[in-house]
Amino acid sequence: MGPSTDWDEIKRLAADFQKAQLSSTSQRLSERNCIEIVSKLLELKLIEVIFTSDGKEYLTPQHLIREITDELYVRGGRVNIVDLAKELSVDLNQININVTDIIKGKDVQLISGYLISNSYVEKIAREINEKLQLQGQISVDELTLQYDLPADFLQQCVLEAYLNEIIIGKQDPSEPRTFYTEEYITRTKAKIRGAVMGLLKPTQISIIIGQCIVAERLFMMLFDQLNAPGVLTGRSASALYVPSCYTKAQNEWVMSFWKQNNYLEYDALQRLGISDPKGYIKKVIQEEDITFLSSCILGSQIKQQIESALEECIASKTYLDVVSLLPSVLSDKDIEKVLEILLKNNTKSTVLFDNTVFSHHFVENLKQDCMPITQSKAEAVVKSGKFQQFYLEKHIAKAELLHTQTDHKTEKREERRRKATSGKGGGGTQGRETKTKAVKKHPRSKQVVQESDSEEDASSKKATAQLEIISLEDVVNIIKKTLENEGLEDLVHQIADYLQGTLNESALIIAKDLAAKLLQNTNQNKKQTHSSAQDKINVLINDIKLYEKGLKLFPVDQQAAFIKYLLKTFGADILGEFCKYAANQSNISVQVDVLSAEQRNKIINDLPEEYMKPLRALNATLLDTLDPFYQAVDVCLSECGMILKKVNKKEDKSLILNHREKLISELENCDDPALVLHLAVLAIFTILHQNMLHASGRQVPSIICFLKSQLKDEDYLKLHHFHELVTKFLVAPEEEKSGIEEDLKDKLPVIKNLVFEVKKYK
Amino acid sequence: MVDEGTRKTLSSIPLLKTKAGPRDKELWTTRLKEEYQGLIKYVQNNKEADNDWFRLESDKTGTKWFGKCWYIHNLLKYEFDLEFDIPITYPTTAPELALPGLDGKTAKMYRGGKICLTDHFKPLWARNVPRFGIAHAMALGLGPWLAVEIPDLIEKGIIKYQEKSEDSK
Repeated sequence: MGPSTDWDEIKRLAADFQKAQLSSTSQRLSERNCIEIVSKLLELKLIEVIFTSDGKEYLTPQHLIREITDELYVRGGRVNIVDLAKELSVDLNQININVTDIIKGKDVQLISGYLISNSYVEKIAREINEKLQLQGQISVDELTLQYDLPADFLQQCVLEAYLNEIIIGKQDPSEPRTFYTEEYITRTKAKIRGAVMGLLKPTQISIIIGQCIVAERLFMMLFDQLNAPGVLTGRSASALYVPSCYTKAQNEWVMSFWKQNNYLEYDALQRLGISDPKGYIKKVIQEEDITFLSSCILGSQIKQQIESALEECIASKTYLDVVSLLPSVLSDKDIEKVLEILLKNNTKSTVLFDNTVFSHHFVENLKQDCMPITQSKAEAVVKSGKFQQFYLEKHIAKAELLHTQTDHKTEKREERRRKATSGKGGGGTQGRETKTKAVKKHPRSKQVVQESDSEEDASSKKATAQLEIISLEDVVNIIKKTLENEGLEDLVHQIADYLQGTLNESALIIAKDLAAKLLQNTNQNKKQTHSSAQDKINVLINDIKLYEKGLKLFPVDQQAAFIKYLLKTFGADILGEFCKYAANQSNISVQVDVLSAEQRNKIINDLPEEYMKPLRALNATLLDTLDPFYQAVDVCLSECGMILKKVNKKEDKSLILNHREKLISELENCDDPALVLHLAVLAIFTILHQNMLHASGRQVPSIICFLKSQLKDEDYLKLHHFHELVTKFLVAPEEEKSGIEEDLKDKLPVIKNLVFEVKKYK
Repeated sequence: MVDEGTRKTLSSIPLLKTKAGPRDKELWTTRLKEEYQGLIKYVQNNKEADNDWFRLESDKTGTKWFGKCWYIHNLLKYEFDLEFDIPITYPTTAPELALPGLDGKTAKMYRGGKICLTDHFKPLWARNVPRFGIAHAMALGLGPWLAVEIPDLIEKGIIKYQEKSEDSK
């Protein structure tokens, strides 16, 4: 291109430039002007605009509404009003004002600060449906969180509105906030069914739920539709599912056990998971005749068994150990109860010891075994006087007890006591009377015990205390063998205890009868003893007097020894007789016939005052001479109500004769040299002096001396010689004795003959 | 530093490519053409922004330029004559814009009415040789100067409003 063209071009550009400069400038208003204009217009109410929040823009309300709807559309049908205000830079108030206009149309709603269009609702309905189909179940709560919308809105405007349109599912009838798909429900059902089918033992619902991952509510709902082979014990999660196979097995077990054993233990049932065994049993076992015990039940079979065994036991008069017939599970208490029921009808014919039933006959037999000893013991106790003493004590105690009662009674009592002590009233009737009284008094005395203070209590106890005639040990010893043969040693003591009571009772009765008889006898005897004692004493005194006559023939200096001996023998005998009599009168038993000095003293000390004094005095005179003795005897006699018969001389003579003959006959039969000498001397004395002599062996030499004058010399010498031999024999050492004894034996007939000779020449 | 508005205006003016002065004959024409194109763009921009503030024309060779510029203050339009020559060393040296009407009225002016440009202008220009042209000089140089100086001068009463001193067009 040439320079000219360049310049042309420049010219052209210059022209363009000018043209550009000359072209009209577009008229522009400054911001300030605009603001002024707009405010002026607003003032004049010619236009209606809304300021943006930064104040730089104006909007007409229509535009705002359009913007809002646009925004709503852009944001997918849901927009927060606050967000709108920010986004559109418009004051929130303005938006709120205009939103009301928007809401007037049915397409859009305002929910908790959100503008929500129907399209959005539909959209979320679709979403929810998708989710529901995916998960199978959906709950409003979950959705509330997800969509940040109120549950009510979701519930009513979304789920319920579109249910079965967009949302394909089912609403839980019991929990309207939960929705399921059919499929889910079927699946869950299948799951639960599977679980439930598989279960063989009772299982907690919560465990099943945990395994199946199902909501508890749904589980409950579906379970009902399931026709599950089992039942639920409750509707809570802690309830149990009990499979019917389990129940069936349970029932079968129970029934078979029941049929086999005829009893059921509650514990066993509980172990099977039956919480209320009694109720269960009532339901399951139709039999009416069931006995409910504390730990189990018993069927009629067992009962019948026991009953028949019992009958047999009674019939065969043996015993029956119930424990062996009852199931081993029964506690002692239960056994007792069973026995109680069983024995109701048979109490009379049976006796129960520690779960072993004894027929009455069996026990009776045992008792019979014991009867002999009972009898003998009773006799012994009566004989020993213990029984009488016991009765007396009982009597006294009762008397003391009743002492405060009416005077009349006391009087009666005293009278009776007097009778008892004097022994004049019929002994038998008295015994019987006391017995009946005792029985009658018994309850009353008990009452008294309750009412009275301890002092009386003690006394009444003493009164009611029983005399143990037959001891437990005695009974044990007797029945032990029988029971051991039966293998019942365990029960020996119990049975013995039982028997001892009844035996003691019968022993007491026996004793009472015996005592009564005895009393009767003694009362009869007493009269006899009185006279016999009187006779005896009379005889004795007479003897003493006769002997006294005899000894008076001796020189005075020798008399003392004879008197002493006389008192020591016959005097003592008299005292003994008195003692025996007095003891008898005072109900003191005296077993022996001949009393020693100690026995006498003992009796005297035991005697009542009235006897004790004279007898003591008499006892004292035994060491004295004859005169005080006689006086003392007189006192005693009067005290005993006896009289001393007058001495008959004829009788005396015959007595002396008898005595002589007795001595001689004794002499004839005697072989002991010393005794022969003694008897011979006495016999000779009696023959020569027609008087009796009572002397001890020690006095023999002095008698021989005394007889020297009356005897022939040869006779005296024989006697003297024999006497010397006897003394020699008595003092001689052992080795020489036999020789002397030979000698004495040779001379025995000589002495005996001497007596006869003396008798002849007399 | 130039303000944000200036920068924006500046960026909308097309940059020149040819480095040539009036002595360069043929190249100068190229340069001149570019100068015109820049000015036209600038004027058009101004008009569009309702910011038309000068009239300018040149002689046949494009070395002498003259025209008018104005400034509106308090709704009054103050108008001044404008003239400048393209220096021999152009574009290395920036044109010296002169407002002869204001000669001696302000300290920010050299003799003959040549305006005293800011410290920034010269280095800025130097850095942008040859890309800056007359339009840039107007926008960067005279524009800001007027905006600063005229209100001051009016305030001081040095210049007074003249009712239609000249035809507005």
